[in-house]
Amino acid sequence: MKTYTCDFLIVGGGVAGLMAAIPAAKSGAKVIIAEKADTRRSGSGANGNDHYHCYIPQCHGADPARARREIGSSFDAGPWTDPKLTDVWIMRSYEIVQMWESIGIDMRPTGEYHFEGHGIPGCQLYNLKFDGKNQKPALTAEALKQGAQILNHIVISEILTNEEGRVVGAIGADVHAEEPEAVLFQSKAVLLATGMVSRMYPSITPAYMFNTPCCPATTGSGQAMAYRAGARLVNMDMLKGHAGPKYFARGGKGTWIGITTDIHGKPFTPYGDKPSRATGDVTADVWPSCYYDRMKAGQGPTYMNCTETPPEDLDYMLHEAMVSEGIDSITDYTEQRNIDLSKEMIEFGTYPIMMSQRGIDCDEHSHTSIPGLYAAGNCMGNVGGSLAGAAAFGLVAGEDAAEYIKTVSQEDVSNHPKLKETLDLYQMLMERRNQPHAHWKEALSTLQNLMNEYGGVELQNEDTLKAGYTYVQQLKADSLNALGCENSHELMRTLELLDMIDLAEPIFLCRRNRKESRGPHIRSDYSFTNILLNNKFQTIEKDKDGTVHMDYRLRQ
Amino acid sequence: MPPIIHEEKCVKCGYCAQICPLDVLYLDKQEPNPRLRVRYPDECWHCRACEKDCPQGAITMRYPLSHFMLHYTPEKGGENQ
Repeated sequence: MKTYTCDFLIVGGGVAGLMAAIPAAKSGAKVIIAEKADTRRSGSGANGNDHYHCYIPQCHGADPARARREIGSSFDAGPWTDPKLTDVWIMRSYEIVQMWESIGIDMRPTGEYHFEGHGIPGCQLYNLKFDGKNQKPALTAEALKQGAQILNHIVISEILTNEEGRVVGAIGADVHAEEPEAVLFQSKAVLLATGMVSRMYPSITPAYMFNTPCCPATTGSGQAMAYRAGARLVNMDMLKGHAGPKYFARGGKGTWIGITTDIHGKPFTPYGDKPSRATGDVTADVWPSCYYDRMKAGQGPTYMNCTETPPEDLDYMLHEAMVSEGIDSITDYTEQRNIDLSKEMIEFGTYPIMMSQRGIDCDEHSHTSIPGLYAAGNCMGNVGGSLAGAAAFGLVAGEDAAEYIKTVSQEDVSNHPKLKETLDLYQMLMERRNQPHAHWKEALSTLQNLMNEYGGVELQNEDTLKAGYTYVQQLKADSLNALGCENSHELMRTLELLDMIDLAEPIFLCRRNRKESRGPHIRSDYSFTNILLNNKFQTIEKDKDGTVHMDYRLRQ
Repeated sequence: MPPIIHEEKCVKCGYCAQICPLDVLYLDKQEPNPRLRVRYPDECWHCRACEKDCPQGAITMRYPLSHFMLHYTPEKGGENQ
């Protein structure tokens, strides 16, 4: 077993993790990033982004009041976010734009700050059009330059806390070689920046589990580790969807320059009837379920229609914007199959649920309810902003952790009780390769079916939620009794599966406890919306004895 | 198998295997014939990171029939054909 000692361990080297490493390492802290792939191409920003949601005073006006109001009420913030935290990413966004520019990310490909896409008619545009295709290599280089150490191909599976309840380290596995090797980290502070939960519900092509709009490597490990360690989660009862090309799941709907229409080419929403490069079509943002809803209502199919898009805009979309956004597999696909978007529409679909921006409850300093434990990016449960939110809260977490580590001392974790428990789990999973064993995909298939049917967006009631919870517990017990791994890769996938099984618990429990219908949570036995729960978020956490506590807190 | 490795161009440097976000590609270092293989094809996200970062231009992407983009020509001004 390898052992590392550091001041600040960052779990996940996506945009949030790298942004946290930069200020912390710059301050002199010993920072390690543990990334299960390679930070140059990992996470949902792996291949790029082309919209940075921000407030730039010289573009939007010196008074941020309008930006706060318009961004705060838009789909980018959304009802399940704390305005206090939304304000952090809005107010720090320009500083980050300048920082990214200084490290070689092209924030103004046209020479000026230029905003386009995801536009709501009547509002200012806040999505800075940038070229993020090199964002991950650039942020990686900057983190290294500031002195952070990056350990690629390390999977972290457990957070360690001490008797007082503060964070003291983490345990994981080095999966670089064919045989995994356990890795122990002793650290004063830990950041969870592991992204969303991409594979807990079935994909739009259930036989192909990795056909997901955002990176399928993001599997809720941060949320699961936080929950097991006793951190407070929030909004786990508010499922979230996404939309894009129907059987070719891909995010980046705002990069398309077209309009949403029926099969005859007729638009049906009030967000514009002509393709606009300036605003795009916000339909998929504000009503991502429209493709599913319309099919169900007998009104489908529904298309992204670029046939009226001017040729120069179409060329720009396919060969510049989609490259910047990192979704030019769409370009490649259409060219390989001779699909001419000036003549043909692409059917869009509503993708099944992904749990993004649902999870760890944080304050405005990115701190969780556990001392020394931070979270940033899509694994946070109470902030939106996607890329901009991840960058801002990564930065905030890195700054705060740099101060926090001065107030605590290192604690020896070499005899931590969790260490033996985790090593025993790894050993058990690996040793079963010598006998007939179950494969992680078998269990994930069942988990996805259970989440879809008993914990999905269709009408639920006390009985379906109760039964679904029971079945997941059965699946967990049987999985632990039967799963085996042939090599490092399978150990990584199996640990991801076990994390997703653990995350089913807070989803089912919170949904059972929410005795009303609201947003995506629809119950036949409580069909009304209870106004006493307006402006409140449901939280869930486990105490030291494993007893679960649920509560409602005010939106802050 | 989604990424296609063009053997005649591949120098077996292993960079694609190192950076693949889904750990799909593997460099089998076995001497004297090291080989790059697509070990977990159904875990490919088709993100093209391997294709873009390959210093030799030795990788192209094949999109499987399971990942099918549905396309349709609208009839202007009314009924579709």
